[in-house]
Amino acid sequence: MPSGNKSGQTNKNRSREGIMKFSINREQLLKPLQQVASVVERRQTLPVLSNVLLEVSGDRLSMTGTDLELELVAHLAIGGEVREGETTVPARKLVDICKSLPAEADIRFEIDGERLLIRSGRSRFTLATLPASEFPNLEEKTEGSVFAIAPGALRQLIDRTAFSMAQQDVRYYLNGMLFELRPGRLRTVATDGHRLAMCDAELEAIKDQAQVILPRKGVMELSRLLGDAGGEVEVIVGKNHVRVVAGDITFTSKLVDGKFPEYDRVIPKKCDRLVNADRETLKQALSRVAILSNEKYRGIRVQLAEGSLRIQANNPEQEEAEEEVSVDYTGAALEIGFNVSYLLEVLNAMHGDAVELQLGDSNSSALVADPAARQATYVVMPMRL
Amino acid sequence: MATTPSRKIIHVDCDCFYAAVEVRDNPSLRGRPVAVGGDPGRRGVIATCNYVARRDGVRSAMASAHALRICPDLIIVKPDFDKYRRVSEQIHTIFKRFTDRIEPLSLDEAFLDVSDCEQFQNSATRIAEALRQQVRGEVGITVSAGVAPNKFLAKIASDWRKPDGLFVIRPEQVNDFIGALPVEKIFGVGRVTADKMHQLGARHCADLQTLSRLELGQHFGSFGERLWHLCRGEDDRPVHNNRRRKSVSVERTFEENLPALHHWLAVLPALEEALTRRLTNLDNHYLVNGLYIKVRYEDFTSATCETPGGMADREVFENLIRSQWQRRPGAIRLLGIGLRLKDALPARQQDLFPEEKRAALALQRASRP
Repeated sequence: MPSGNKSGQTNKNRSREGIMKFSINREQLLKPLQQVASVVERRQTLPVLSNVLLEVSGDRLSMTGTDLELELVAHLAIGGEVREGETTVPARKLVDICKSLPAEADIRFEIDGERLLIRSGRSRFTLATLPASEFPNLEEKTEGSVFAIAPGALRQLIDRTAFSMAQQDVRYYLNGMLFELRPGRLRTVATDGHRLAMCDAELEAIKDQAQVILPRKGVMELSRLLGDAGGEVEVIVGKNHVRVVAGDITFTSKLVDGKFPEYDRVIPKKCDRLVNADRETLKQALSRVAILSNEKYRGIRVQLAEGSLRIQANNPEQEEAEEEVSVDYTGAALEIGFNVSYLLEVLNAMHGDAVELQLGDSNSSALVADPAARQATYVVMPMRL
Repeated sequence: MATTPSRKIIHVDCDCFYAAVEVRDNPSLRGRPVAVGGDPGRRGVIATCNYVARRDGVRSAMASAHALRICPDLIIVKPDFDKYRRVSEQIHTIFKRFTDRIEPLSLDEAFLDVSDCEQFQNSATRIAEALRQQVRGEVGITVSAGVAPNKFLAKIASDWRKPDGLFVIRPEQVNDFIGALPVEKIFGVGRVTADKMHQLGARHCADLQTLSRLELGQHFGSFGERLWHLCRGEDDRPVHNNRRRKSVSVERTFEENLPALHHWLAVLPALEEALTRRLTNLDNHYLVNGLYIKVRYEDFTSATCETPGGMADREVFENLIRSQWQRRPGAIRLLGIGLRLKDALPARQQDLFPEEKRAALALQRASRP
């Protein structure tokens, strides 16, 4: 955790800044350093935000990166000759230096006045520092609902829905992912107002109810982080923050302050037309037809008839594509338009062999699901042809 | 000066359209403040409201919750766009009695070019009056109309006597009218541009007329050139008729009848080439919805043979010709090929949360300087 920069006591602590010294093996340092640095934005208005905070306390090194919304802290054990202290140095340069050193290299760090001296073998670097006291920290303690979850399960909840999040929508609360806690269940929901993705996981560990929106960048970083995590991660859902402790890495993100739409009312409840298809076949057909759809609007025309789904696209150059896919369907015919990208992204996020489409009329949303794995639900609004 | 015959353009604008339709269908609403819009509890916004509600300050794009605060008696009706679309179509059938040159701007607004309309001795004023009466009588809502030599002025004119009014700007009145027109009335001049004009000492179009093309360009960028014309009451944009084609075809009548199948087939390449030429002249927003061939026999009876869907493909036309030959072989004097067309205007993505979107956009507009 970065120390506070508020009280008078801080100044006494900062006196340690002058003497920090430690050494560490490149392989031990590089991965967590890269993770921490990934949060740091390339272009910053506040110079210290381009830096990582390095803190040595006892036999532990902490590295922190932040963009004021999101904070990643990595804790590493260090041995050998250690002197406590803290400072901040440019994140990218530090990563580049450590990355370019040979494998298994021993890297020594030492503060020298207002510089950080880095030595390894016959290499020597001095980096400019900014005082650790200028480094901002997100709230020290996050209180709220606490539960443990397998990183794979949490990652699945994110990866099956993240593609539906909005990007820079004026409805800022859509530029993120809803995490909804109910006793015994964790649900993620993402929507950009045209399509929606929702995924559930049963989780005994959850005892409370809560709805929070994690901002887009936090969602992406968290997914990446979970890919490397083992064991179980601890999740703390607070009022203003979410914290995930994954082994030596602590992820903290501010929440989006806004009300997520009542998503439940847009999930179709009754279904006039039930279509079952082979996911891969449908995906291939759609991606071929997509080539000749309007590049901007991506519209395709879908004609449903007994046993078959005909997909057509044309573009402003009058080029046309047409595919026919055999499906399991009996019932009335239907013609409906879709943004082909939305359908493809859903089919890509699914894993099973089969796909089920539930359709109403040509103005009603379509529900897409894997009949063998119903924890994920997808809703796509049509295009008016 | 060269005299090009002056055009006669009518701009028709329904008075608070959605609200008027709702009041028409529910007479108990008459005389009360009525708005059409979203649920105030769900961040809905006002789409439109009647004049009673406007007196209390209710406006379009206002949050429904806010509208209720300033006008507690306001009755907010949920919009029924299918109904408005039907009413709009009904109004358009009235327009079509006078001209085919109709350019709809939205469900409740359209330009009509009646320059060639022969009714009422080609008096645009009397046409506009008749049109207003027929809409009132047959549809049950009021519309305002503006008559002028171009679209720009006609649109200003329709607003001049709103609601339920008619205003005419005759060609000889254009100079006086435009000279005295406040710059804010120019379409595309918002508050920021108007402020800039005021700083330049231009409050009316007459003031703008004293500025050169170059000066206007310097101050107002790409809008300057258009402004130079507009402040003189000039606007040569035509009334775009967006009637859509249902089919496109080409046919040939032959000097000598074609007696055999191979003769029929032999003319196909030339027809196909002509059809392709016709297609390239069409705009891009069509989809082929069927192919057909047409023949006329030597006894002057005609027949068509067609197949749904598909693409303009030589093989498909050949098969159609063969099927027709099988049905009735013989000598023909005419052969044509054609495509049934379907509108492929850029499809509009539908929204899962339209109310949230409208509210957010209204908010964004309101907070813009």
